[in-house]
Amino acid sequence: MSERLSDETTPGSALGDSIAQGWSDRDELPPADWGRSTSSRRTGTVWLFALLITAMAAGHAWLTDELTDQAFLAWATVFTAIAFQALPFLVFGVALSAALTAFVPASAYRRFIPQNAARAVPVAGVSGALLPGCECASVPIAGSLIKREVAPAAALTFLLAAPSINPVVMIATAVAFAGQPEMVLARFAAGLSASVVIGWIWVRFGRADWLRLPTRTHTPGASRGRIFRESMLHDIMHAGGYLVVGALAAATLNVMVPRSWLLTVADAPVVSVLVLAVLAILLSICSEADAFVAVSLTDFSPTAKLAFMVIGPIVDLKLIAMQAGVFGWRFVARFAPLCLAVGLVCTFLIGGLLL
Amino acid sequence: MNRIAQGLTLVLLGAAALTATVPTDLYLNWVKAGFGPFLIAAGAVTVLLGVLVVVAELRGESQDTAPEHRTSAPEHHTSARDHDRAVAAEYGDGGHGHDHSGAPGVAWLLLLPVAAVFVLTPPALGSYTVESTGGSAGPPPEETVSGGFEDALAEAGPGETAQMAVQEFVMRAWTDEDRQMAGREIELTGFAVPDEEGSWYLVRLQMACCAADAVVNRVEVVDDGPVPEADTWWTVRGTWDEPEGELTDVSEHRFLAQEREEVADPPDPYE
Repeated sequence: MSERLSDETTPGSALGDSIAQGWSDRDELPPADWGRSTSSRRTGTVWLFALLITAMAAGHAWLTDELTDQAFLAWATVFTAIAFQALPFLVFGVALSAALTAFVPASAYRRFIPQNAARAVPVAGVSGALLPGCECASVPIAGSLIKREVAPAAALTFLLAAPSINPVVMIATAVAFAGQPEMVLARFAAGLSASVVIGWIWVRFGRADWLRLPTRTHTPGASRGRIFRESMLHDIMHAGGYLVVGALAAATLNVMVPRSWLLTVADAPVVSVLVLAVLAILLSICSEADAFVAVSLTDFSPTAKLAFMVIGPIVDLKLIAMQAGVFGWRFVARFAPLCLAVGLVCTFLIGGLLL
Repeated sequence: MNRIAQGLTLVLLGAAALTATVPTDLYLNWVKAGFGPFLIAAGAVTVLLGVLVVVAELRGESQDTAPEHRTSAPEHHTSARDHDRAVAAEYGDGGHGHDHSGAPGVAWLLLLPVAAVFVLTPPALGSYTVESTGGSAGPPPEETVSGGFEDALAEAGPGETAQMAVQEFVMRAWTDEDRQMAGREIELTGFAVPDEEGSWYLVRLQMACCAADAVVNRVEVVDDGPVPEADTWWTVRGTWDEPEGELTDVSEHRFLAQEREEVADPPDPYE
């Protein structure tokens, strides 16, 4: 009871809390009559969905005749297309990462990462290449690695490398850029080098008090199957929601922005790279799907597309929000600009060499 | 978003993916045919996960979890926010039960693709996209030229009609320096896009993955008949209007059609 009271008086502070809106007023911490309240809330939810399905059926019957606006339909097609081509990657990426969460203990990661920070950074970078999972999963994993006394710089390198160069991302990139293996290689090289360089910079200049370390919790008892299910649900809800945001924005850009305008920007060598880097930050597309969006930006140079795929997984609005939630704003204010700068340098170098 | 809502959202999302692939071919309007099996599998997994979550919730599993959390480590759970942060941070750990009862509001957006499928059922891209993107801007990339052509024209025997994809025709027209298409009878299928000057184009959209990356391939058709309506499907038979001078200097390749036939049952709209 006392905990429950303190819940209501705790002021909200971090953005991470506000994006996780509704966490604090959910069923988990209901008032004293909570059995009743929960079940009525459940019934309400079921009714809400029944209403939604009825509305969709009615909308379908009514709208198919009414809706003939070509621009809107083209937008809807592109949106649906992006959402559904990303869905298999999202589902299998999330399933694989949930399997690792449930069946590989965190201590196994620690065993493979050296104690010396400068040497741990490249190891963490390479292990990012082995572990599938998008940025939504890697932020909390990095937090728990830091708590387990892995050097913060190494954990941060892992945080950046895992969504940038993991196998699911690489396969997605190879599928999207069919017949252009140099793009896959460039993405791997640029993503890995950016992560490792950022890690080393953090070893040299980073300060421990910039990181707000999460408090340690430990709860025994849940079965592996349940952990698997829960982490999959968690990932798909978080990553999926932001994926839809990305699909909405990308479809809007695709249909609304005049090609001639994009073409003017696309021709400028350096500006086009910066434009796609900014686009990657704004769109916040899951790294398992961003290659498909990058390949659709057909007017841009390969280096600009590379920038889109290198910057996207390491800095974007969604990540900034999540990192602020886990590590605090003092950290993000330093870390995000660092990632952007190093990511761009790596993009230009690797893009110049390989593309 | 409570857990019932999450589970039901997943069920609907999976149902949308399955509806677009199993009883219908709607997915061909949006993604390449190769995505079909993956969409079916992803849809099935999503429905299954959603059902499991709803069933677990109805059995009252999450009610067990919450007190369990607090009794096992009460000193750390002085507030729900700290608790959430801790759980979120701990997520990824192998040996604990975590209780992600909530999902961020942004997860509701997962219902948008569901609504798109069930309410709008977006059609394949068509003449609007061709007009708004201004059609093909010039010759296609030259990377495929070196290895010779492996297209319908190469397969068709001499004197046979070659049933070419519009994409193959465009590629040949701009890059085949041997001009092997000259004088050959060719058949093309696509949808019609009339322009303001009274001519019309036969168009196919080519996609690498999904409709977001669709590229326009079009051929100007020259024939005696009236200009067809936009988005009607046609098969035209005729010959390539071989240009004089450099192939790459041509702004629009033309097709001299001897006959045309309306296609009643259009194929996969993309090629």
